[in-house]
Amino acid sequence: MNGHPFYKGANLLSGSNRRSFLLKAGIITTGIMLNGCLRKLKPNTPYKNITGTIKGPNAKAGHILRDKLSLPVSTGTRQVKTLIIGSGISGLSAARYLKMQGHLDFELLELEDHVGGNAHSGKNNVSAYPLGAHYITIANNEDTLLTDFLQHCGVITGFENNLPVYNEYYLCFDPEERLLINGQWQEGLVPEFGLNSTDKFEVKKFFTLIEQFKMAKGNDGKYAFDIPIDNSSADDSFRALDRISFKTYLNQQKLTSKYLLWYVNYCCKDDYGQKIDKISAWAGLHYFASRRGKAANADANAVLTWPEGNGWLTKKLEADVSGHVLKKIMCYSISYNQQGKVVAGIYNITSGTTSTIVADNVIMATPQFINQRLLKEGVTRIMDYSSFNYSPWFIANITVNHLPQAKGMGLCWDNVAYDTPSVGYVNAGQQTINMVDEKRVLTWYLPLCDHEPRVARLAAYTRTYEQWMDIMIPELEYMHPGITEAIEHVECWIWGHGMIYPAVNYIWGPNRDAAKQPVNNTLFFAHTDLSGISIFEEAFHQGIRAAKQVLAIYGK
Amino acid sequence: MNKKLHALLLISVFVVATCGLIYELIAGTLASYLLGDSVTQFSTIIGAYLFSMGIGSWISKYFEKNIISWFIQLEILVGLVGGTSSTILFLVFESVASFRIILYSLVGITGVLVGLEIPLLMRILRDRYEFKDLVSKIFTFDYIGALLASIVFPLLLIPYLGLVKTSYMVGILNVGVALIVCISFKKEIKAAVYLQTSAILSMMALLVGFVYAGVITNFSESLTYADTIIYSKSTPYQRIILTKKGKVLRLFLNGNLQFSSDDEYRYHEALVHPGLQALPNAHNVLVMGGGDGLAVREILKYPNIQSVTLVDLDKGMTGLFKSNRMLLNLNKSSLLSPKVKVINADAFSWLRQDKKKFDFMVIDFPDPSNYSVGKLYTNSFYKLAKTALASGGIMVIQATSPYVAPKSFWTVDTTLRSVGFHTIPYHNNVPSFGEWGYIMATESLVYKKPTTFLPGMRFITKESLDLMFYFPKDMAKVKTEVNKLNNQVLVKYFEDEWSSVL
Repeated sequence: MNGHPFYKGANLLSGSNRRSFLLKAGIITTGIMLNGCLRKLKPNTPYKNITGTIKGPNAKAGHILRDKLSLPVSTGTRQVKTLIIGSGISGLSAARYLKMQGHLDFELLELEDHVGGNAHSGKNNVSAYPLGAHYITIANNEDTLLTDFLQHCGVITGFENNLPVYNEYYLCFDPEERLLINGQWQEGLVPEFGLNSTDKFEVKKFFTLIEQFKMAKGNDGKYAFDIPIDNSSADDSFRALDRISFKTYLNQQKLTSKYLLWYVNYCCKDDYGQKIDKISAWAGLHYFASRRGKAANADANAVLTWPEGNGWLTKKLEADVSGHVLKKIMCYSISYNQQGKVVAGIYNITSGTTSTIVADNVIMATPQFINQRLLKEGVTRIMDYSSFNYSPWFIANITVNHLPQAKGMGLCWDNVAYDTPSVGYVNAGQQTINMVDEKRVLTWYLPLCDHEPRVARLAAYTRTYEQWMDIMIPELEYMHPGITEAIEHVECWIWGHGMIYPAVNYIWGPNRDAAKQPVNNTLFFAHTDLSGISIFEEAFHQGIRAAKQVLAIYGK
Repeated sequence: MNKKLHALLLISVFVVATCGLIYELIAGTLASYLLGDSVTQFSTIIGAYLFSMGIGSWISKYFEKNIISWFIQLEILVGLVGGTSSTILFLVFESVASFRIILYSLVGITGVLVGLEIPLLMRILRDRYEFKDLVSKIFTFDYIGALLASIVFPLLLIPYLGLVKTSYMVGILNVGVALIVCISFKKEIKAAVYLQTSAILSMMALLVGFVYAGVITNFSESLTYADTIIYSKSTPYQRIILTKKGKVLRLFLNGNLQFSSDDEYRYHEALVHPGLQALPNAHNVLVMGGGDGLAVREILKYPNIQSVTLVDLDKGMTGLFKSNRMLLNLNKSSLLSPKVKVINADAFSWLRQDKKKFDFMVIDFPDPSNYSVGKLYTNSFYKLAKTALASGGIMVIQATSPYVAPKSFWTVDTTLRSVGFHTIPYHNNVPSFGEWGYIMATESLVYKKPTTFLPGMRFITKESLDLMFYFPKDMAKVKTEVNKLNNQVLVKYFEDEWSSVL
């Protein structure tokens, strides 16, 4: 039970841990910089035909927070009943729920010039494309809050025999997934092509296990694995799985096929941005066993997606709360005044001025690593911020003028190569009804999980555009020999804190529960890092949970 | 004048003769490729060519001085005209109605120029041989050259180089002769530098043509088609290939046969008339796909039709069938009719935006052989189509072969029914395709089988219609899934069923 002392450390920046972090970070960033210098010495770059930039969340605003730069004196004060900080899905969902219940005196502050948080998206003249979260699975049927929302925005068009009918323009078009394995593209991501009978048997065994977990219920009558996560059974026979790593669990089950382990690793990277040794077994199984949605017109586990990914959903949420959202407004401090009201220090990024908002209550729809800096003295939370771990991600939107043909299955929505660092690319144009011409945007996802997150994050910020190409292009060339010539543009996006990941003993450990607790019944918290898994459904429910806590104050 | 130069001039005779005959063969071959009926084409081309040569020989007497430099200029000109002739003919074939005029003009010009060559050469050589030797030598080399040409052309040049490259190569030989003569007689001619420069420039131009000839006709492609390719073009969406054998034209899109001119009437009569004949009050018709205008040709036979909207993705396709004489003969210029509006758009998106209603709709898309086209056979597409169909209207869909691909055919039927259509499946035999299937879809059970058809039908009659509606046991209905955007079962069935045939 004690294989991961690193993650149990109360303060990561103390003693030998701090020294080892500095050493590792030093070695890696120096390496990257040296490589960058060497690269400059080489006369001709191999990517002359490729244009593009590196972008990411508003770094300037982040630095104001982190480096505690001195800000101008506040120019004014205004009052609002409820303030929501952060317009990711949690914040939008909280706002929407308040509005639905008739609680209209609220403002939603966003430091970026757009809402949506990690469900951000971009667009060029070929296609819209995701810059983060890019799909949801069909909803669990008992999750009526979610199905109501989906019906409201036209994703569910009606019901047949009590089963939702999903809009077929949004259900992922066929063909959905392919895997490059043993020299050929096979349909589907579960390895099949070139596996021997032992490997096949283990894959089958794993999925039999999953089927059992899917329907398993604890002694409290609740599903062992459910969405939202807090609806899952409290039965310790399941929760005990949170105290071991997924890797340990698979080992205990004698599942050792390299193909199966690759697949499970791929799934953990895809959903959590980390490998099986870092993820708790409970969380690893939750990915497979928590989705039981049924539709009248789609298979179980069917996927809903849009060219701009979940950016489409954020637009729908935003439309529901229009008039309440203030963009490019950064909250830099939260404290209490003598009357016990919440005081928010506000920085207007456009004008460079600060002001103060005095609120009756505030929903912090921000990740805890931000809250750590926002919440000032006087705001007491009994919790350990260092138990929140975030995976850094690199995302590239690649515009190609054609895709070289390869052996086997043709282009799908999700295209993955066996045993490569990335989790593959999605075809942003999958949902187009037109005969496609050859130009496409491919969204390539790379979880930066080879080093501990802080080191990987620092390394990611250090790399130049060419160095990212050096990482990405060889893998793309492996998938599609000759593709470099076809690439016109690559837009890189770095998420330093891409998503919370459910480390061992995080989901059912003490800190997540502590962090959810309101402060003085005036500060409430809503974010997927309070769920431990970063998916739309969790964010959606996090927002509603916090909104309900606010509404309770007013007796609603 | 030394022996070397004598030999050189005689070799020139040989080369010039070979080239002359090859131009003649190229023109004849091209004419029979592009216009068909090889006996007539070959005879008239050879006649015109020889006659032009006669004119050339007659004109030769007007050349008085500087015979050598005239000869050099002549060779350059022959090389340029002859070398580019087949390229010009391939390029204009697509769009120029008076293709024959250009063809015969080129044949005429080449003939005149080639006709000038031998008389001028004889005059250059006249002081160097006795008359009897001269005649003997010149004609010996001339006829040997002809023999060589007639053997090399069909056995080596056409199979290994193709028409266009052959033309350029022969053109290069002509200019080569000019260049060699120019260098060898440098002292005897005026303006040698000018002539030499023009020869080199022409040579370079022809070399460029030779190298890029592949753009005009993809030669390797011609190996995969049984008939002669007379037109090929890559549009952003597909590769269009037109072939001809005798009088039969065949159109291929991405290598798949779309029609063969000898039996397409069976397909298009079956596609249009069972539905449209049953709608005496139909005014507005929508055709999706069918950029060849052949379905529109059938539709325009009804006087009650006021407008036909044709939605086809590919401008390259509709443009070809609006301009080429041979194809206009085939579709009776249907796409040029004032009643017809051609829209080059993606059918799915267009249908999603368009709010007009149509009394009769023809859905004539390529077979669902890939996921892109497969979308146009889904329930989502048919739901949209349903909103565009006027009440009491009929929609007909080409639905692949119920004999070779019964599951595919009946999937289209199941999918149409899943969105609330009543369906009337039928089939007929189109020799080029085999047994072919169509499905009529209506919103209500309004279909009344026509008992008479317009005069001039070559296939369809009341009796043949009865047979078309009957499905024998080997094509009987099978249970299938509904084809949807998120399952694309049709593409999978289609692939399975046709892969066992092809």
